[in-house]
Amino acid sequence: MICGRLIGGVALSAALLMPGLSSAQGDIEAGRAKAYTCLGCHAVEGYRNAYPSYRVPKLGGQHQSYIASALQAYKSGARQHTTMQALASTLSDEDIQDIAAYFASRGPEGQ
Amino acid sequence: MMHCIRCLGALLILAAGVAQAQSIGDIEAGKAKSQTCAACHGANGASDNPAFPMLAGQHADYLLHALKAYKSGDRQNAIMNGQAAGLSEQDMRDLAAYFAAQTPAVHGLQREAVSSAE
Repeated sequence: MICGRLIGGVALSAALLMPGLSSAQGDIEAGRAKAYTCLGCHAVEGYRNAYPSYRVPKLGGQHQSYIASALQAYKSGARQHTTMQALASTLSDEDIQDIAAYFASRGPEGQ
Repeated sequence: MMHCIRCLGALLILAAGVAQAQSIGDIEAGKAKSQTCAACHGANGASDNPAFPMLAGQHADYLLHALKAYKSGDRQNAIMNGQAAGLSEQDMRDLAAYFAAQTPAVHGLQREAVSSAE
């Protein structure tokens, strides 16, 4: 019995140590629809951020977990950017994983 | 003669401006300065660790902006705030130029037709 509890405890600990294993997968197809707004800037070749002026980053093929962490940072305020903070604040954790999965799946030529 | 020299001067200034716009920094100097970055961002900026972004082929001006934001604290990140703190403006320009010039690991997105019927 003690053994059973121990195994249960270990399994629970392991589950807690692997945050959001299932939710971290992200749904590419759901992300495709949710990313529509993003493409208004990120899918326009040469599109520039204003004040300061720089080209908005390429996101196709970027690591999913990095895109997700960047969006979470905009949402929490750890990254300062007026537009991105406003957009990220509307996204749930699931939205963020879906959008990140979609961008990560995009290769050269946007395919 | 005077007119000619003025003309030439204006042309030189114009040419310098164009060169500046094309190259944000020194690629070779950036390569030499990128050794520390490679530990997380991979050789040539093609990171194989999903926690760290791929930098190869990213826009140079965006990379420069990101480094400046880590240095100023506009972006909070335990690792990058420390790394960027020690970089000069020229270091950041050279690193941005180097990573942008590598074989692209990231790509521009393209709009796709989103059909609700599917």
